[in-house]
Amino acid sequence: MLALLAVLMLGGVAAGCGSDDDDDEGDGGGEAPISKFAIVAPEKGNDYGWNQQGVEAAEQVASDLGIEVEVADNAGYEDVSPILRELSTTAGAEFVVAQASGYNTTAPDVAAQTGVPELVWDNPEANIPETSATAGTASQEGAYLAGVLAAKTSESGNLGIVISADDTNWNKQAGGFVAGARSEDPDVEINLAQIGQAGYADTAGGKRVTEAVIADGADVVFGMGDGSSFGMLQAVEAADGVTFIDVIGDKTSIDDQGVLLSSVLWSFDGLYQDAIDDIGAGTFGEEGYELDLENGGISLLQTDLIDDETWNQLEDTKQQIIDGEIKVPLTEDKAQVEDLIAQG
Amino acid sequence: MSDLLSQEFLTALISGGLVAAMPLLFASLGELVSEQAGVLNVGLEGYMLFGAFLAFVIAYNTGSEWLGLAAGIVAGAVGSLLMVVFSVRMRLDQIVIGIAIILLAEGATSLLFDASYAESRPSLGTPSELAIPLLKEIPILGESVFSQHPIVYVGIALAFVVGWILKRTSAGLSIRAAGERPEALDAAGVSVTATRTWATLCAGGLAGLGGGYLAIVGAGSFTPFITQGAGFIAIVIAMLSRGVAPWTIVGAVLFGMSLSIATALQLIGVEIQTDYVQMLPFIAVIVVLVLFARRSYLPSALALPYVRGEK
Repeated sequence: MLALLAVLMLGGVAAGCGSDDDDDEGDGGGEAPISKFAIVAPEKGNDYGWNQQGVEAAEQVASDLGIEVEVADNAGYEDVSPILRELSTTAGAEFVVAQASGYNTTAPDVAAQTGVPELVWDNPEANIPETSATAGTASQEGAYLAGVLAAKTSESGNLGIVISADDTNWNKQAGGFVAGARSEDPDVEINLAQIGQAGYADTAGGKRVTEAVIADGADVVFGMGDGSSFGMLQAVEAADGVTFIDVIGDKTSIDDQGVLLSSVLWSFDGLYQDAIDDIGAGTFGEEGYELDLENGGISLLQTDLIDDETWNQLEDTKQQIIDGEIKVPLTEDKAQVEDLIAQG
Repeated sequence: MSDLLSQEFLTALISGGLVAAMPLLFASLGELVSEQAGVLNVGLEGYMLFGAFLAFVIAYNTGSEWLGLAAGIVAGAVGSLLMVVFSVRMRLDQIVIGIAIILLAEGATSLLFDASYAESRPSLGTPSELAIPLLKEIPILGESVFSQHPIVYVGIALAFVVGWILKRTSAGLSIRAAGERPEALDAAGVSVTATRTWATLCAGGLAGLGGGYLAIVGAGSFTPFITQGAGFIAIVIAMLSRGVAPWTIVGAVLFGMSLSIATALQLIGVEIQTDYVQMLPFIAVIVVLVLFARRSYLPSALALPYVRGEK
């Protein structure tokens, strides 16, 4: 239903009767290899997470390059091929970002049909020259830093990880967090709890499970959940002396109680910029992209709750990861995370 | 591994289970009344969403949880008017209309939330609670079962009141007749359409109250699609209750506690794959179905439109 609405809205825009609110034209130098690109995101671009980061990065890149961007957010998780095709044809986009791993098989097909290159997520087989390219994250590197921070901050020696689903990205970050925490304090206790099979929007479940984790002794909670993370934040705010580490976006502006210790931020600006540059150079699709600490795609949010000494140590650790002195484990499966926790 | 005997931990688990159970209790109680009258509300999830959203809006803007819960009742009842108009009055298919109501509620509440609160993401804070004197002193149970939001006690009492109304009053007799023998009710001079209308509005109001509880007490905020299928679970609980209203308490608490147990099993590190642990609440419902389904009883005119003189 949401996807259908998005298609109808796109049709309206293409026909010249839509709002211009989503069209940003920057004031750059006009030397960009394309004049317009588009981003399709599954949910609204104001979720303080994946979708917002993607939309804001697209608008920023468009502004920097002086080109137009068409934002089609809230497109849902169903078949988005009509939206992708519409953007590539009628809407005139010369490059499309398919901002959801759920789009990663549809988008390359649409790109092959329309000839407009598409950037997809988490599909190594989608690297097809001048057609499509895949992107991924080394988010476990940022989570490692979060783990170090949590272990240094915790007074109870008990950390909680709450995830909304058995999700590859959540598992990668959970594993990085465990490794980081254990590097700081080998004896730290870590407990992992999952809200549900797909509890991304389960705010009440996020609150309920986080309350249990806190009651179990955790005084730092690392939460990964999309909409359910707002419930996690509620539970942390209601508890005494507990802090929260978020992922992907920055919830500082809604952190009324000052419990947000940090967030593993994902920034897409450089990724989109690199993809557009590669389109200009004719090398798009020859290889994939990855967000990591080194290219700034992954970073740790600095808040007032982190003192200078701790932050400096985190900066040192970050450099050690970049230099390869610290190897962060990659745990794409939840069983790997649980094994890592059990090793403590 | 967690200390299972920790009083704080057990209190949180039991309390969390009850909080998860209450939206199901309210919604299943309303559905039970409606089913007894012959109306199957597949759109229960939609009523809950309407209730959750308006309850959140009113509670946030007035600072009153009670006004918020009242708004939830109104929103759910208004949502059920669609069922009344299209299914009870116009006799369109109850299942199709129910699905349409869900889609409408999901779209409308998401749209309204995105337009008004997506940027600020306000929260309602910690909900109030009523600690029952003396009982609140009982270890673990005192701080979990007997220190809940007052609407919890209202909900449990309501299940018995509804049970009494259905079994012991003429209104209850009319409701059951509308679902069992609508032609007999009609012959007795009682309007089947009016009876089903009131029963459906009751389902909408109670489901809306469940949604309001979910937003105000359960989550402390609203998120699009916040109900996460609770309406469908409530329908199952209503059916398993076999027309006996107090049984909705058992079904709802069983499901809510299963959710808490699933969390506990993860935290104590049992050697079971999380996928199986996450299935526990649903397995509990399936077990109950297997044990009691053969004895389950649904009104013979359930989901059937009533047309005078038509067999």
